[in-house]
Parts: sequence; C-alpha cells; structure tokens
Amino acid sequence: MAEKNLEPIIKERRVFITGNEAVAWAGVAARADIMYGYPITPQNEIMHYWTRLAPKYGKGFLQTEDEISAGFATVGGVLAGKRAFTATSGPGNILMQDSMSMAEMMRIPTVMIITQRGGPSTATVIYSQQETTLTCFGGNGEGIRIVYSTASHQELFDYTIKAFNTAWKYRFPTFVLGDGYQSKMRESLTIYDPVERGIELVPAEPFLGKGGVAGLDRPPVHLRNTYNMEDELYEVVRELVDAYNAVAHEIVEYREMETEDAEILIVAHGIVSRAAEGAVARLRKDGYKVGSFRPITLRPFPAEQLRKCADRAEKMLVVESAEGQLKKLVTDAIYGSTTPIETLFRPGESITVEEIISAVKGL
Amino acid sequence: MDKLREAYVGEYASGKSEIAINRALELHRQGRKVRLVDLDLVEPFYTLRPIKKELEDKGLEVIAWNTGEIIGLGETGTLLKPEMKWALKYGGDVILDIGYGVKGVKVINLLEGLEDERPLKVYAVINVARPMTSTVEEIVEYISTLGKVDGLINNSHLGEETDEEIINEGAYIVTKAAEKLNTPVIATTVAREFAHLVGDKDCMGNPVKILELHMKKAFW
Repeated sequence: MAEKNLEPIIKERRVFITGNEAVAWAGVAARADIMYGYPITPQNEIMHYWTRLAPKYGKGFLQTEDEISAGFATVGGVLAGKRAFTATSGPGNILMQDSMSMAEMMRIPTVMIITQRGGPSTATVIYSQQETTLTCFGGNGEGIRIVYSTASHQELFDYTIKAFNTAWKYRFPTFVLGDGYQSKMRESLTIYDPVERGIELVPAEPFLGKGGVAGLDRPPVHLRNTYNMEDELYEVVRELVDAYNAVAHEIVEYREMETEDAEILIVAHGIVSRAAEGAVARLRKDGYKVGSFRPITLRPFPAEQLRKCADRAEKMLVVESAEGQLKKLVTDAIYGSTTPIETLFRPGESITVEEIISAVKGL
Repeated sequence: MDKLREAYVGEYASGKSEIAINRALELHRQGRKVRLVDLDLVEPFYTLRPIKKELEDKGLEVIAWNTGEIIGLGETGTLLKPEMKWALKYGGDVILDIGYGVKGVKVINLLEGLEDERPLKVYAVINVARPMTSTVEEIVEYISTLGKVDGLINNSHLGEETDEEIINEGAYIVTKAAEKLNTPVIATTVAREFAHLVGDKDCMGNPVKILELHMKKAFW
C-alpha cells in the first residue's frame, strides 16, 4: 500500500450523524479509493456524503447509468487494484446480484453496503429485513460471500472498515447489511482512523495489468466466469466452496446475551437485535430466564454457536422484520435440534422492545 | 406588530426542523398567529409530515403534506405543495423548515412574495458534533455555500450523550465562525433534558433557548 495511505486522516472523536454518513466516513477511514453508485433511497446520503468527502481526500466517485453498471464497475475497479465499493438497496440490490455473482466466481473482493428497504419490488423506501436472503444467497451460485449484519452507527463504521479487510484478505465479495432505520437515524458514535488504532489495513493490489511477462516473471492471471464443461465447472465450484468453508470459522461473529441459563432464547439480527437485547434486560428484571443470540455474520452463519444455545433452551423465539428469512438460516443451522421455535415476523415493519416482551410472555 | 418571516437551514440532521418547530411554538405562546411550513423537498425522512396533526393541535397552522399523500419518494425528491409556493402571503408569522444543504436552500427561490417589504431572515443551524461543520473554517466554508444567511444557531449536541463540554465547544466555535462571517449568533439551543447544564446565556454570552423535542416521532 502506498505510504500516503498510512498517514492519519481522521481525528478520533465523538460525532452525531446519520448511519449513511457513518458509512461514507468509514470509506474514507478504510482508505477506499473509489465508490461507484446509483441513487436509491434510503442509501442516497452514502453517495452524497462520499461525493462531498471525495475531493477533500483525493478519492474517486462515478455515478453509473444504473445499478447493473455500478456493480460491474465496482468489480472493474477492484480488478484494477482499487479499494472500490458500492451501496444500494431493494431493487438495486437485485440488479447488483449478477456482478456480485461474478465476484464470487472470480474471487473479486468487492465491498457493498446494503440499506434494506421494504419489499417485494419497489414497495417502501423506509425499512425492512427483507433483503436477508437476497444478500446472503442472491446470485446464481452458492452464496460464496461474507455478510455482516450491523445494529448501530458505531457498527456501520466499524464493519464497513472491516469489510474492506475481510474482502481483501479472503478474496470473497463482502457485504455490510444495514437498513433504512440505521441509514436515517441519528446517534452518536466514535469515528477514528484504523491505522492510528493499530488496525492493519490489508493492501489492495491489481488483478490485471501486472508488470512482467506472464508465465515467465509471474504466474499468468486467468480470471474466468464461464466454462464449457459441467465437470470443469463442478471442480471450480467445489474449490470455491471448500476454500470458503475452510476459513468460515475465522470469519464468523456473533453476540450472546444472558444465554447461559436461558430457558427462552430470542434470535434476532441487525437492528432488531437491539430490541431483543432491550427486551432481555427488562424481562430479566422481572425474573424471566431469557437470553438472546445475534448472528453478526449471516454468511458464514455461526451455526455451532447457535446450536449450543438452542440445545440449552426450552424454547426459541425468532424475531425479524421479514417473513422468516432469518428463520431459514436458523433452522438450517440447528437442524436436528428438538427445541421448539416460535416466531414474531413483521415483514417491512419495525419491532419494539415492548412487542418482543409481550411475545415472550405469551409463549 | 411586525410579522416575522424566518427560514431555518443547515446540514443534514443538524436540528433545523426541531428548532423551526420550537420557534413557531414560542411565537404562538406569545399570542401570535403562526404558520409553519415544511419546505424539505430533499429528504423523505424526519420531516414535519408525521407530526403535522400534533402540531396543528397545538394551535399552529402547518403547511405540509400528509405522509400518505406524497408520491415520488426519496431520490426523486418531493413535490412542492401548491400552498407552499404562496406560504409567505400570510397575515401572521411564517416559519420555514428547509431541506438540508445547498440544494435544500434553493427551494426558497420557488416562493412567491420574497420581495415583500418584510425581509425573510435565513438562520443556519450548526452542530459542531457533525464532522463537516466541526471547526471554524469548516463552518465558514459551509455557510458561504448557502447564500444569504442572517445568523447562526449553535445546536451542538451528542444526542443522549450531550454534556456541558459539547455545548460550550459549540458556543465557542460557532461564535468564532459568526465573527468571521460578520453575522450574529442568534442563540444556543439545548434540549430540555440538558437545560440544567446551561443558564440564560452560554459561555460566549449568546442567549440560550431550551428545546422541547418533537422530531423523535417524525421518522416517517
């Protein structure tokens, strides 16, 4: 990485901003070189603030003609050795899946921020957790990607920085899955320079246009996303899946609260996990033996860790602002567990602490 | 009595709407006729729309869309409601809540009656805990993009973590920026919850106004 990239660029301090701005600042902090994007609510201010910051910090920005183009331009930027990212939501997330599939196939370390809005289709510009399945498994492949589901502005900042490192270290497309609430809410967080905190930034390098003679001075670069034969493809996908599974345990992140003696285990991700943790705190005061489990990585999923908590509990309650998209991940992860699963599904709508408390009391 | 016409402008999430509402209610409590206008055509979130009825019940005349009426959400902007264009033609005080940034301010040019003998005062709301308006230089640069500004308001806070330090830091930086811009500091604003941290004047001698918070309910 160029020396200039290691100079401190952000003074560490508490700030009061929206989640979208936190992402734009994290892009600067992570030494991202360029953002490609196309406007869609509730993502717009990531672009908007990036375009305000970009000239000050010598960064690039390109607004493309649509999200298909923004996704592929991000892949192209990465191939040229740029720390490139994009951000989108809802229908834009659908349009970017083709390029992200390509990134999976060719192991291109793209970074993409998702601000989930209501679905299906154009639906609302407000909020949901209905892009969980799409973001985890959206391509015409096997979901060979990393998905962080954030719950606060601080996490949007931290995990956007981390996403660049994870992507460039493991060479899988990496997603930060937020939502309209996190995008638009205002709360305080600490912005900082990761280099000053001693966080090593995994360097970017060009995939194409390397010097020397291929095959003589260096191995040839051979990036393919198309194959002639079934068995040829099978071998490639097998290798991809094996490579992904081999490092999954290093990438997995989760958060438990009061699970040790929990009879009731609430499972939630993203911003809904904040309501779940709020409910646990209040229910514990009332003597309920309740705990919560939050997968931070949805891909790879913390299956073993959830399984341990699930086996200890008498009942599970899966809570999400979607109609069972998290639950599919949960049931797949704990297949064979006999702990009954109850649900609180509110597709496209918020879920409050009080609603979770009343659902727990009604079990 | 002179009728007032005031517009509140500033950065995204700086507190423009909260201050516009509090100003409108302050004038209403003085027995004045007050019209509050939602001129935020930039952002569909955190506008006056969700709390329109609540504010009308408090005695304000509110010109705003109802959330269910609007079309073209977000990146497409919001339509100007016909009554908004004529909002300044009013026998009482008019308070305008403007969308963020340079584009937001341009909405003022769409209004009829700007050349009226009563001048429209434009006040910029500043929170120094926002990283693009955190220093004197940044504020001066930012304000110069907005065009005519008649005064600054120090609304520096850190949400629930607000303390005396951030309020005072804001008062100091905003006052210094105002000196450079040769414009007055209208007030330092502080949420009711933190009123005990301040007196009638801030550390720089600017008047302090206490805010009742209404916008928390205005997400959508």
